[in-house]
Formats: sequence, structure tokens, C-alpha cells
Amino acid sequence: MAILEVNHIEKHFGATQVLSDISFSLEQGQALSIIGSSGSGKTTLLRCLNFLEQPDRGTIAVNGKVIFDAQDPATLSESEIRKKRLHFGLVFQNFNLFPQYTALQNVTLARELLAKEHGSETKAQILEAGQELLNQMGLADRAGHYPHQLSGGQQQRVAIARALAMRPDILCFDEPTSALDPELTGEVLRVIRELAAQKTTMIIVTHEMNFARDVSDQVIFMDGGLIVEQGDPRQVIDHPRQERTRQFLSRRSDYE
Amino acid sequence: MLLDVTLSLLEGFGTTLELFLLTLLFAMPLGLVISFGSMSRFAPLRWLVQTVVWVVRGSPLLLQVLIIFYGPGLLFGLPLLPRFWAALLAFVINYACYFSEIYRGGIQSVSRGQYEAGQVLGMTKGQIFFKVVLLQVIKRIIPPMGNEWITLVKDTALVRVISVYEIIWMGESYIKKGLIWPLFYTMVFYLLFNGLLTIFFGWLEKKLDYFK
Repeated sequence: MAILEVNHIEKHFGATQVLSDISFSLEQGQALSIIGSSGSGKTTLLRCLNFLEQPDRGTIAVNGKVIFDAQDPATLSESEIRKKRLHFGLVFQNFNLFPQYTALQNVTLARELLAKEHGSETKAQILEAGQELLNQMGLADRAGHYPHQLSGGQQQRVAIARALAMRPDILCFDEPTSALDPELTGEVLRVIRELAAQKTTMIIVTHEMNFARDVSDQVIFMDGGLIVEQGDPRQVIDHPRQERTRQFLSRRSDYE
Repeated sequence: MLLDVTLSLLEGFGTTLELFLLTLLFAMPLGLVISFGSMSRFAPLRWLVQTVVWVVRGSPLLLQVLIIFYGPGLLFGLPLLPRFWAALLAFVINYACYFSEIYRGGIQSVSRGQYEAGQVLGMTKGQIFFKVVLLQVIKRIIPPMGNEWITLVKDTALVRVISVYEIIWMGESYIKKGLIWPLFYTMVFYLLFNGLLTIFFGWLEKKLDYFK
């Protein structure tokens, strides 16, 4: 059974339709890359999955259970959304780390607040898990650093650890390397590759075509708010069937 | 003579300090509430609050003190408020409006990404505000807040208009006796106290220097 099923999502900003009839599914342990030019709706789609935007139509189901239905107001209340968004994690393009907290505190803050409500874990356990995640990100010795003392690549790795700390079913990345220079891009991509190797279920919006081809089990190409083409990464990226996909990929190879 | 003047000025400065501290005590939280009103998504509330802030910031504090003291009696035949409380009420309203604009600037300077990061981590609105946003706001509003506090210390001199005996009133009473130096002496009190405030705000700024 698919861990994620997205059906007929539509989203308008005013009169502009930014997502039209988006449907796809994702299996447990798979990585899905979403490619396409700026303004194609990729980021909006990711923001819809994380409830930062609310689709006007459509449903989202996780593990076979509908967690969002634009037609059903019961799934749209603030407190419901808060619970359900924990199925997803989101890593932002601009990291959005909390500047007044150390790397470790960034990772543990939300989980500690949640544990206070449910009493599920002790603070010591959470700190240990947080340190473990930072170690996994290659940041063992950066736990006590504040975000402004870290490089962009390190900040983004802290942000990945922070998202993982909430143990989401599906981890989403919104152009995770677009704010980084090429040198720092590599260290972040390496971490995401490791996560893919560990069978973390992921959705990655990216402009890094080679990375998308290597790391993902499925690729979606979006244009004008529509899914133009989806399938095996080698097929979509190396042998696109649609003219629009070909155009997009060929323009990129002009300067690559 | 010096001792006499000192004691009398100290008494006046006590009133000054009392007004200063009580104004802060009430106006700091009230300003936060007003700032939320002026940022409300409910337009009528936003307009109402912004109009009030415009009227209060756009007219002299002196006038507001006079109106609050004499207004209820002359307009509605109500008994006068005690002078000090009338002055305090006017100051709280006036400074809360100024503070609200400082808060609003600070809150709006925190990027939307900070809220969104909190949201996707499953934090509640309250947790996001108190655990993520607030300290960043405090850091950013320290310099304008320092200005405002120092202005408040000096503005307390206005309450003499309804005969609240603050320090300058006390100093001025010596003019009738042909003495000018007590007036200069009052300045020492202001300078010392505002010096302390300056040091306090500098310390606070340094304290929050650990993050950017």
C-alpha cells in the first residue's frame, strides 16, 4: 500500500491557478523528485502537503487514511492540521533555523514541547536522540554552535536533523541546495543520498538533475501547475516523452 | 539648605519614578495587546486600533493629561480622578500606543519562515510566539525601547500641569525664594537616572548578542 496518495489537488491564488489536478502516490521507503522551472507549482505542492497552503480541492491520504479533504471541514481545523502535519517534515530552501537556539536546541525544541504534552519521552532521551541525529549529519562537534556560527551547508544539515527529530513519515525538501554555493551543495546532497540509502521516504523539489536521477525512485516534471510527466528517473530525465519536458531539460544542458 | 533642597527634590523624584515605573508596568503589556489589534486580520478591528493609535500619538500628551483629569467632571459631572491616577492613566494610554508601534515593527521584522518552521514542526501558535519569535522581537526592539523609556522619564515633568508634585515642580518652588540652582540640581537627578537606564539597555543588548 502506498504511504502517500495525493488525489486531484487544486490550488488557486486569487484568480491564478497554481496547481491543477495533481495526483500521485509514493511507496514507503521511496524517494520522489519533483523538477520543473520556477513558478511551475513545485514548491506550492510541497507547501500543500505540509499544510502551509490549503488546497482548494482534492485529498491527501497517508497510510491509507485520508488526512486532508478540501470538501470535509472536519479535516481542516487548526488542531487537526497540527496533528496531521507531523506526518510530514519540511526542509526549507533558506533553512529557517531558530537563531537564538544552538544546533542541538534547534533539533530538540519541538520534540521537547510535544513530549511535554504527551509525556512520552524524557528530556534526556530527546537530547540523546538529537545529538545522535547531529552525529549522523556529520555535525557531532557543532551541537553547541548557534546558526550564525555555521556555514550554509552546516545550517541546512541542522535543519534536516531538526525535521528528522519529529520522525515524519515523509520528509520533504524544498530546493534544499538553492541557497548554497556549489562547494556547500555537495555536503547537503551527500546527506540526502545517505537518507535515501537508508530508505527514508522523501519528496525532493530540486534543480539538481543529476542528483534527482541518482537518488530518486520516481520523478515528476511539473509545468504551469500540471504534472506533465512522471515515472522512472532515467526515463523522465534521460528520455523524456513529452515535448515540454524535453524543452526544459535541453535548456538546462545549454549551460551545464 | 543643600540638605533641604535635596530632600525636597528627592520627594519630587519619588513621584517621578513612581509614575515612570507604573506607566511601564501597565503600558508594556497593553502595548503588546494594541500591537496585535493593529495587525489583526479582522479589518474593522485593525482600523479602529490604528485610528486610536493615530489620535493618541498625533496629539500632545499634555493635552491628554488635561482632558483625562478635567474631562470626566466637566463633560459628565463625574468626580475628578485623583491627580496622580489621572496622570498615570494618560501616560499609560499614550505610551502603550507608542510601544505598540515598536512591538509591531519588531514582530513584523521576524521572517515568515520562522513561523513556518515552527508550524511544520507541529508547534502551536502560542509556542511559536513565545519560544521562537518573542526573543527575536525583544532583541530587535531594545534600541527603540531604550529611547522610549528615556523619553518617558523626561515626559513625567508634564504632570505638573495638573499639580502633581514631581521633581521640577519642587525645584521651581525655590525660584520664589530667589534660587535658581535647585533647577539645575533637578537635572542631575535626570542625568543620573537616564545614565543608569542607558547602562541597563547596553547590558541587555550585549546579553542578547549571542545570536543574530
